[in-house]
Amino acid sequence: MIGMQLRFEKRMMPHVPWGLVLAAVAVALIGIFNLASAARAAPLWHSQAIYLGVGLLAAGLVAAVDYRFIQRMAVPIYLANLLALVALRFFGHTAKGAESWFVLGPIRLQPAELMKLGLLLMLAKFFHDDYRPAQPSYGFRRLLLPAVLFLVPTALVLVQPDLGTAMMMLLSSLTILFFARVRWYVAAVLAAGVLVVAGVLWNDYLRDQPEPRFTLIRQHLKKHQDGRISGWFDPESDPKGKNYHSLQSKIAVGSGRLTGKGWKEGIQTGNLFLPEQHTDFVFSVWAEEHGFLACLLLLFLYGVILVSSLGVAFSARDRFGAFVAVGVAVMIFWQVFQNIGMVTGLLPVTGITLPLMSYGGSSMVSVMIGIGLLVNVAIRRHVF
Amino acid sequence: MTLGKNTPGRDLKAHYLYLGLFMFLGLLLLAANLYRLQIVHGEQLRAKSEDNYVKEVRVRADRGMIKDRRGEILVEGRPSFDVYLTPAFCQRCGEEVVPKLALWLGWDQAQRARVEQQLHEKHGTQRFQPMPVRVDLSREELDLLNAHLYELPGVDIVPVQHRNYRAGPALAHVLGYMNEISQEELSRPSAAPARYFLGDYVGRRGIERAFEWRPCPFGPCGLRGIDGASFQYVNARGEATRDKSGRIITEDKLLPIPGSNVILSIDARLQAEAERAFPGAAGAVIAVDARTGFLLAMVSRPSFDPNLLTGRVTPAQLSAIARDPLQPMVFRAAAQHYSPGSTFKTITLLAALRSGQFGPTSTVHCGGGYQLGARRWRCHKDAGHGPVDTQTSLKVSCDTYYYTVADRLGLDAIAQVGRELGLGAPTGLTHLAEVPGIMPDRAYHDRVTPGGYTKGMALNSAIGQGDVNVTPLQLLMAYAAIGNGGTLYQPQLVRRVEAPDGRVLEEFQPRVTRRLELLPEHRKIILDALVAVVNEPGGTGGRARLREVRVAGKTGTAQVAQLGKLRLKKEQMEYFARDHAWFVALAPAEEPEVAVLVLNEHGGHGGSDAAPTASAVLSKYFELKRSESALFGGERPEAPPLNEAAPPAPDPRAPERLPTTSPAPGRAGRGDGP
Repeated sequence: MIGMQLRFEKRMMPHVPWGLVLAAVAVALIGIFNLASAARAAPLWHSQAIYLGVGLLAAGLVAAVDYRFIQRMAVPIYLANLLALVALRFFGHTAKGAESWFVLGPIRLQPAELMKLGLLLMLAKFFHDDYRPAQPSYGFRRLLLPAVLFLVPTALVLVQPDLGTAMMMLLSSLTILFFARVRWYVAAVLAAGVLVVAGVLWNDYLRDQPEPRFTLIRQHLKKHQDGRISGWFDPESDPKGKNYHSLQSKIAVGSGRLTGKGWKEGIQTGNLFLPEQHTDFVFSVWAEEHGFLACLLLLFLYGVILVSSLGVAFSARDRFGAFVAVGVAVMIFWQVFQNIGMVTGLLPVTGITLPLMSYGGSSMVSVMIGIGLLVNVAIRRHVF
Repeated sequence: MTLGKNTPGRDLKAHYLYLGLFMFLGLLLLAANLYRLQIVHGEQLRAKSEDNYVKEVRVRADRGMIKDRRGEILVEGRPSFDVYLTPAFCQRCGEEVVPKLALWLGWDQAQRARVEQQLHEKHGTQRFQPMPVRVDLSREELDLLNAHLYELPGVDIVPVQHRNYRAGPALAHVLGYMNEISQEELSRPSAAPARYFLGDYVGRRGIERAFEWRPCPFGPCGLRGIDGASFQYVNARGEATRDKSGRIITEDKLLPIPGSNVILSIDARLQAEAERAFPGAAGAVIAVDARTGFLLAMVSRPSFDPNLLTGRVTPAQLSAIARDPLQPMVFRAAAQHYSPGSTFKTITLLAALRSGQFGPTSTVHCGGGYQLGARRWRCHKDAGHGPVDTQTSLKVSCDTYYYTVADRLGLDAIAQVGRELGLGAPTGLTHLAEVPGIMPDRAYHDRVTPGGYTKGMALNSAIGQGDVNVTPLQLLMAYAAIGNGGTLYQPQLVRRVEAPDGRVLEEFQPRVTRRLELLPEHRKIILDALVAVVNEPGGTGGRARLREVRVAGKTGTAQVAQLGKLRLKKEQMEYFARDHAWFVALAPAEEPEVAVLVLNEHGGHGGSDAAPTASAVLSKYFELKRSESALFGGERPEAPPLNEAAPPAPDPRAPERLPTTSPAPGRAGRGDGP
């Protein structure tokens, strides 16, 4: 790794965003504690602790590299990730109907997790390079390239199929676009787009119409995806079938009440009513066993991470740094929102992990690299 | 890149605020939703989470037993084990579990494919329903599966009672058999409050089917009973939660109500004797209490083994039963009709007496046949019987006499008597299927025979050939009606239904179908003639004679195939071309209390191939009766004695009715035939 410009300077230390780092480590530790209960049969928390260690190491490493080097590497990183996603179509390991893994000996890698980082770096580089003080807001023509930049990986993730991550990438990218200031008509068209999606959902799922239903998009969805959307609208309709996750998860969360049932006392958890309770549904375990107050604490910690990230972005040295920091914050936000929204029945069930809480090395390391990027941007605010 | 007015942080300043606000609102929305779930609906969702893991486990009710008249067990439950598979809990089902089951249970390819097909078809909640994959494990298979149960997630070994039909094929048509309920039947709304599940057995025939479930006067009863339930704590895989010592934790139980016992009127000992004494490959032996219509023995041969049909019957075994030329599944006693042959002459005789044109002394000359128009109807004795009076006509079974009767009376007068005696219509045998038989008359022949009715048809019918077709049970009930003075009873098999503790839930009384017009003098003429058949030299039924009791009876040899001029011996004929041998008996002849019918299909002659069986059954009947009255000394025994006409009164405090212990008849009457 020649020219990585690995260096720490003493004057950087006061700028380390300790609040952000502490909040992230706190969430990760809570996650490990929670995993010890969520996966009682297998001691997954051991591995998760190792992942945290690896993640912190990766974060430190990323923080140490001058991000101007990372800026230069953004395009290769992005392309490498795209290549990995394409390669997945041919060499991937299929689990639960989706090809989302590479198996390299003992290591199972989820390229989609790293793609998020590649995408945000690429977008940050785009908005950095494309900066025109005279034309501060973006119209359609200037948005064409960033749209291609995020739609291609989103589409590749969608066909895995991984609806959750694709949604998250789409929403994050759009948020970054909005942050970068778009023309009013772009906002209008997007609003119209949201209306169209709502209209399609209404027509395909909610409208009272005789069979056979006239549907617009529904017939193209995979069966489980279709089931999850219809289950989202009517969770009681098939409690043991397609809506099983959603219903059981809501029962688990709700039954925690104010203070929860106690660590390792969760009935839903202990009796395995919830599948994926150590990964996508890990929040339900926390909510069931520790209650509303502990959930608020967790949301507060995520809030601290988000606010500190925006602070880092605000005081970043340059546009690239600012967009990287905003990008990390936005991605963490959407992931948290989608995951907890899904666990509490606000959103349809799509596979997406809860940052720092869900079991899994790829997820942990990718979020930690994001934190490392934030630290990187923060400590170099005065370095030229 | 320089600091200054155009530093990127500056121009997007407001956007940080908007983005922060947006994220804050997002987290607030999550918090609000958590508040809604955990605080507002918390109570309710906690209750749900607790129901979640209490599983209702069915506790099967024991099925009732079927017993004979004296309480001897005919059908009972036998402990056994079935294997169930719950698709939702079966991990690596297709790859590991099914191949292992196939290996250990010795499934062939077809059986394995069937299970895999079933597994494949289950969707949604169906995947949580255990499906039976094997019934009635052998001891070795049970040990093998138990030892490897931990390798077989989703596989349960369930103790289930299986039926044990103690006597095997004997009485099988009456008792019936059971098999698995079909998916289609399960989806049908059931009248019974006891619910059925996949893998449950249902009575398919006979008593098992008729008494599966019935509304009794004192509440629900039936062989099935009502299942109970226990409530177990289970995890999402359906595994019971256990305490530290491995005991399954349950909540309270709902105790099952065991099925009721059905007490038949059949006497197992008489049944066994009838089975033993009947020499034929096919046919029927029936004994009935002539004064009540309760059946005492009912052989229908060939039979099937209900143990086989109720258990793991293979398709090969089933098709072997279906292909058997003797048709073992056919209930010959009531669901098959035959030409009655000469046994029908009794009915013709009654018609003759009723017409007033024939009396006890009416004589017909038999020259070996009867000329009607251009055709001559042959008597079975080519040389002729000479002058034949009424009694002799029955004793020697002279066809010519009855041709004469038919020629004078026509068919309708005979059919009238036949129908009054229950021929041509179902007897009303409770709980079993039967056929109506045919009692032809003019209208019948005009309808079905090309060219319509001619006198010749009356001649044929008068000797029990032609289109007359009766079921053995019909013929027996008709004889019983003549014997008891004119009451045609509905034949019944079941005396009562009892709760397992012996409480009587339902009691069956004799049911009268019809009281027919039977003048005492006509009855006497007929009975005397029937006594002569058995007891007088030259009578055709001499081999039914008993020393201790006077037996009245009639032989019959019904032609099956149209034969040429030459009369062949039985051995010279193809089995299915041989005659049916009939014998119907009433005893004691003075006041008949029991009627016995023997039909030896393609057996040959009534006198030689049916009468001895009837004799053995009657002999057994009177032997049992003597031993019972000796044993109980006239006191009322637990079970009604064989000769008791009416079933016991339901109220034990009611004044005791002593069984009518008539002195053993027969001796005194011996030898005073006409």
